[in-house]
Amino acid sequence: MIPVHFLLEVSAVLFCAGIYGVLTRRNVIGILISIELILNAANLNLVLFDRYWGSTDGLGQIFALFIVAIAAAGSVVGLVLVIAIYRNGKSIFTDKFNLLKW
Amino acid sequence: MVEFAIYSIGIGACVFAILSVAVRDIFHSAVWLSLTLLCVSGLYFSLNAPFLGVIQVLVYIGGIITLFIFAIKLTARIGDKTIAQTNNQVLISLLASVVFFVFLLSAILRHPWGRLATVKELPLKELGQSLLTNYMLPFEFLSLILLAVMVGAIVIGKVKK
Amino acid sequence: MVNVAHLIPLFPFLAFWVNILLGKTLHRASAWISIIASLISMVLSISTAQGFLAGAGSYPLGTWLTFFGQPIAFGVIVDPLTVMMLLVVTVVATLIMIYSVGYMGGDPHFSRYFAYMSLFTASMLGLVLADNLLMLYIFWEGVGLCSYLLIAFWFERPAAARAGLKAFLTTRIGDTGLLLGIFLLFAATGSLSFTDLSKANGPEWMLMAAALLIFSGAVGKSAQFPLHVWLPDAMEGPTAVSALIHAATMVAAGVYLVARCFVLFAAHPVCLEVVAVMGGISALMAASIASVNNDIKKVLAYSTISQLGLMMLGLGVGGYSAGTFHLMTHAFFKALLFLCAGSIIHGVHTQDIRLMGGLFYRMKTTGITFVIGTLAIAGVPPLSGFWSKDEILAQAFGPHPVLFITALLTSFLTAFYMARLMLLVLFGKSRSELQTHESPVTMRFPLVVLSFFALFAGLLGSPWMHHAFQKFLAFQVPYPSEEAPSKFVMGLSIGVSLLGIGLAYSIYILHRRFLPEGIRAQFGWLYRLLMNKYYIDEIYEAVFVQPFLRLCRLSFRFDMAAIDGVVNGIANLVRRAGGILRRLQSGFVQNYLLIQTIGVLIVIMTLLGKLCFQF
Repeated sequence: MIPVHFLLEVSAVLFCAGIYGVLTRRNVIGILISIELILNAANLNLVLFDRYWGSTDGLGQIFALFIVAIAAAGSVVGLVLVIAIYRNGKSIFTDKFNLLKW
Repeated sequence: MVEFAIYSIGIGACVFAILSVAVRDIFHSAVWLSLTLLCVSGLYFSLNAPFLGVIQVLVYIGGIITLFIFAIKLTARIGDKTIAQTNNQVLISLLASVVFFVFLLSAILRHPWGRLATVKELPLKELGQSLLTNYMLPFEFLSLILLAVMVGAIVIGKVKK
Repeated sequence: MVNVAHLIPLFPFLAFWVNILLGKTLHRASAWISIIASLISMVLSISTAQGFLAGAGSYPLGTWLTFFGQPIAFGVIVDPLTVMMLLVVTVVATLIMIYSVGYMGGDPHFSRYFAYMSLFTASMLGLVLADNLLMLYIFWEGVGLCSYLLIAFWFERPAAARAGLKAFLTTRIGDTGLLLGIFLLFAATGSLSFTDLSKANGPEWMLMAAALLIFSGAVGKSAQFPLHVWLPDAMEGPTAVSALIHAATMVAAGVYLVARCFVLFAAHPVCLEVVAVMGGISALMAASIASVNNDIKKVLAYSTISQLGLMMLGLGVGGYSAGTFHLMTHAFFKALLFLCAGSIIHGVHTQDIRLMGGLFYRMKTTGITFVIGTLAIAGVPPLSGFWSKDEILAQAFGPHPVLFITALLTSFLTAFYMARLMLLVLFGKSRSELQTHESPVTMRFPLVVLSFFALFAGLLGSPWMHHAFQKFLAFQVPYPSEEAPSKFVMGLSIGVSLLGIGLAYSIYILHRRFLPEGIRAQFGWLYRLLMNKYYIDEIYEAVFVQPFLRLCRLSFRFDMAAIDGVVNGIANLVRRAGGILRRLQSGFVQNYLLIQTIGVLIVIMTLLGKLCFQF
């Protein structure tokens, strides 16, 4: 017996924690970590509802799978950017990247 | 027994997630994240989605977290204790996320979800089949994206002489 | 028969673009491009004239635009008047361009000069070919622009820049009138075509007002009183420009316009009266000023005003062919005189006739041609000026005694001041230590050709050739009669010419004093009045320019204080508001993200308000 609303609440906690992290971390890697949290919250919901509605072809799981793959790709790009920026500016703090600010 | 496991793993996931955004040291943050991901993977198992649970462990903990730790170690100064790790909008962000959470909670609790009986596992073979039949096109697009990411990462990461 | 008339202005126009765009590289060669373009135009004009004699006529080119349901066609008008103007303009323009090769020789802006000259030629040819008033107006403004550009050609000299501005602004007054006249004519008759003018019917007062307004355009362009003030100042431009634009062609455009719209004027005798009276005033006033002026070019400028006034007078008394005939002969001999003046100025580097004298013996070609020009304009038979002037006098003789006397007086004064000019410049003893030299052959050649025209062009309209020219011109308005130039008028005309020349000779060569010293002293005011050109410039300055400048200064202050105050106030407000709002644009990604998150929260809560916080 799986307590559905409990899992939804877990997902909500993960999601809100991720939002908080994205908004407050100065460090780009910290932001990426928070984004992973948000994506996991979404994935958990997808898998849960896949089970809940009893899909036959596992659409929710496949969707989650895609998200995992894309999240991995996103992290790779993000981290490469972090390294490139670090190499140029010796910093990876978001509030230092205000070249475009007027 | 299963229910107890789900509750404990779920609470663990919540705690670790909060820790991973709350701790100062970015390296610790990555470690807490890996624990969160592990818990989520456990939840997948409990939802009878073992394939996804395995993928979660493999890709996230084996791949992404490792990458994070590499990046953290490469950008050496970040872990420095003297540098502030959060910006000046902590309070309002906290408020916003808590309000958001309360809102989500109220939405969740309004619906009588009931309890889900243990569902049967979707065989891996069927999953693979639907992946290569019904969802062929997105699957191929995904492979293209991965290729592009690979090329892009090399190009961006290359040291320019 | 191929119609080529519409191609005539094309070649100078192309020459303009070539010279203006490639002037730096072409430099000396730009002159030849302009000259060749003018020559092509001349050949085309001659072929157009031949075609006309063979029976070809005006032809349309197409519809330009439709206006209140009225199509405004553009086309080419080919009639005696246009053919005459085409030949005059192309011949004079070509000769003056050849002359300019020598005259403008050392000028650093050589190619720019020829570009403007070509543009002027193109505009002027377009003007005489236009078959409706709207097209004419466009080219009218085109020649005005070129006039401005060429008067102010040496714009580094403040006087030249001011003169250019003055010419532009003064003619603008008349041009505005012309434009209003065109509007009025269109409102009254619904057509702007010249061929429709003869059958124009509309409210009487509108047609009359239109005619008078069109005449105001002619007054501005032809430098008639009271808008004549720009022409003497326009002498700041190169002399060759003065010869082409301010003697032979552009200033004659006003006369051409009146002649072109002659049927409109003829339908309203009052309008003709106005034309004649304004022409008479200008003629007499300018001739009197010319009699005392000491600047060789200014004398010629006033002489031009006077002669144009005479043409207007001729037109105004109904002498359509007389006015246009004088227009043609005047174009030749006045261009000749200006070119001679240019040659003299080129030789002695001064314009003050009191410093000249005895130049005849040192500048043979220039001297002889100058004498020919002088005798032509003074009206000595059988030179060209005599015949055309005689026509005007004959036309005025019968019904217009006052105008006749005015014209006669003008003729006398013309003979007097031209003889004075000639005698002071060419004969007598040299009055200063000026170095003189004859001008180069490129300058002498046009003088010779033009003096040929000044000598013989008038014969075309003489009784010896049975007034062939007048009959040719008399196309819309029939030439009155064979015996119109009576022997009496002719004799009178010769008499006043010889009297004027004789008076000038006795005063300036024989130094004879006709009046006792006391009387001469009493007429000192008259001399001062004439020397100061009737104080017209000063009156305009006091009546129009100064109040206008005061108004400008007032407006400027109002603008600075009130308008700028409001504008700057708004700008300041915006800047302050921006300064406050700028903080939102922190350039800090997470800040944007926070705002975005809050925004999303608000949106969701608004949309799903019922779900909110209800446990």
